[in-house]
Amino acid sequence: MHGTLAYFIRRFLLIIPTFIGITMLSFGVMQCVPGGPVEKMIMSYQMSSSDGEAGGAGGGMEAGGSIPEDALEEIRKFYGFDKHPVERYFLWLTNVIQLNLGESYRYSEPVWKMISERFPVSIYFGAIGFLLSYTICIPLGVWKAVKHTSTFDTMSSVIVFIGYSIPGWAAGIVLLTLFGGGSFWDVFPLGEMHSAPELWETFSFGEKIIDQIHHTILPVFCYMVGQFAGLTILMKNSLMENLGADYVRTAFAKGLDEKVVVFKHALRNSMIPIATGLGRIFSLILAGSYLIEKVFNIDGIGMLGYTSIIDRDYPVALGILVIASMLKLIGNIIADILYCLIDPRIRFS
Amino acid sequence: MIEKLFTPVTVKRINKFKTLKRGYYSLLIISGLYFLSMFNALIINSKAIIVSYDGNWSFPFTGKYYENEKLGFEKGEKQNFRLLKKRFAGEVVMANAQPNVELPTNQKTGWVLMPPYHYGPIESLLDELEGNPPTAPGWEHPMGTDDRGRDVLARLVYGFNVSISFAIIVISLSYAIGITIGAILGYFGGKIDIFGQRIVEIWSSMPFLYTIMIVASIWEPTFFMLAFLLAGFRWMGMTYYVRGEFLREKSKDYVSAAISIGASDAKIIFRHILPNSLTPVISFAPFAVVAAISSLVSLDFLGFGLPAPTPSWGELISQGLANLQSYWLVLAPFGAMFVTLLLISFIGEAVREAFDPKQYSRLR
Repeated sequence: MHGTLAYFIRRFLLIIPTFIGITMLSFGVMQCVPGGPVEKMIMSYQMSSSDGEAGGAGGGMEAGGSIPEDALEEIRKFYGFDKHPVERYFLWLTNVIQLNLGESYRYSEPVWKMISERFPVSIYFGAIGFLLSYTICIPLGVWKAVKHTSTFDTMSSVIVFIGYSIPGWAAGIVLLTLFGGGSFWDVFPLGEMHSAPELWETFSFGEKIIDQIHHTILPVFCYMVGQFAGLTILMKNSLMENLGADYVRTAFAKGLDEKVVVFKHALRNSMIPIATGLGRIFSLILAGSYLIEKVFNIDGIGMLGYTSIIDRDYPVALGILVIASMLKLIGNIIADILYCLIDPRIRFS
Repeated sequence: MIEKLFTPVTVKRINKFKTLKRGYYSLLIISGLYFLSMFNALIINSKAIIVSYDGNWSFPFTGKYYENEKLGFEKGEKQNFRLLKKRFAGEVVMANAQPNVELPTNQKTGWVLMPPYHYGPIESLLDELEGNPPTAPGWEHPMGTDDRGRDVLARLVYGFNVSISFAIIVISLSYAIGITIGAILGYFGGKIDIFGQRIVEIWSSMPFLYTIMIVASIWEPTFFMLAFLLAGFRWMGMTYYVRGEFLREKSKDYVSAAISIGASDAKIIFRHILPNSLTPVISFAPFAVVAAISSLVSLDFLGFGLPAPTPSWGELISQGLANLQSYWLVLAPFGAMFVTLLLISFIGEAVREAFDPKQYSRLR
């Protein structure tokens, strides 16, 4: 156990350089963005001054020279652009560590507040989709492995292939076309978390639950489409590998029942790669969401990320970039730790 | 012929691949369609293949610009070869949108050879359509038109060529980067390996789709820039496999032999070890194509993909989401994407089966 502990400590210490690398990369990308706050201020200054002049056709161009140099200096200082980029990076980094991600250009709200407000929405859909796909894919994968090369295996492989060839969000749009009341059936709502607030307020508690489920089915189905194929195949292959192992042969040889061999011996060992996947739950919740949240108009983190890019609200975009990268990094480490905890044979060095 | 080009093992694998019918036929279909789509300009195009007018032959399909007078159009008239063909055939045709042009005044004779399907992917048909676009599928437009009055079928077929070409470029680039870096990390090991792995970890922690969206929103990428961007965020997966292969191959005798006769590092990496470590590279390629096409469609859908008039499946799907009652704008590109990706994943399954077989031994 000693070596494992040392491995974990080293693994956690390695977060630091990786974190610095990620933030440097994100910060670097954002430095190239035109239309930062300074330019925005200059623009609005020009707009107001050309509004003041009568008939300011092309006034923007000429007014550009009319900003006094000391006022410009003042604006730069206000936003911290008078400093060297390296210095600015470290200032920004100390803020990021304290979860102070700056203010949105557009809504003048703290970025961290905007992001954390939307976490529950994204986690709601992501987690339900994640749990449901595990509860479906694991039994399916096990069944496919046990009945390898049977008709059931071949038939379900077709479904797996179909699932693999359809991106979840695209399936969502097709479902909306079919069931969203366009030209076919009007069964499901077009999106959002629940019905319009005016209607939502009038619902009783039971109606609220039904309405919520009604709005949840399609997006969650899309999350599942995205994971279905990979997870099922992973489960199947992992179990197949174990069924071919010597200890399974031994178990059969000593006369154990097939059920006991599969479920008690082989299955537990073949759950290892599946369980480590749990570590990626964080990034999975965010990964598909840019597209699915856009399709279903769900006001989660993905949607915020998308609209912030469209609106060129770069502090928000940068905040989401940093947080998403961090979640992915932490997810990978948790996966490693789970791997180690579940399978005591694994020793890292 | 393949016996001369490849090693016996590879020949055996190729022969094995051929026996896996589903994957083999999928490969034939996809490569056949892609080959055909190279000649899209001759098959699906609004521009005529040959216009013979006044004794001169012109070939507008090549994209070369011809003066109106040379082709038999009136001065200032929009070049519409479908109208021209009818006019040469003696029918009286009015150009709807151009009331100022008096037609027909053309006395000279000629003939027009049109492609089999005479609508193009970028041409807006607002003048010719009855009703407002998007118009529903019908005889003239089997898959309808999009919200700017462009033929959906033509856009789909051109989009197929764009998608596959894009995927091929992305895969080649990302493999070139990924294999080189993986080879260097695995071959040299030590400090280079530790440092390199950190870089790879940083790079793969960036949410690639989101980062590309941000970059694309700043610089509005061209076709090749987008391919470079995607490759730049997609090379990491291959590094792990190649690094692993190199770590294993490095300790084998033939490498020691190569070192002892004084071969250079570059020669050992690329001439000796690399050919022996290509199995994961080849067996992952079809799935990488699937991933690249899905990424392109996703980016196009979000509006951060290829520049505007490029025919693309994702852009059509996003139109479909905005016009849900126009079901053909969703179902047609979705169907095209689905069939393409399905066939490619069939290829992938067969390639993996042939190149990287896993024999599952089981009692009973």
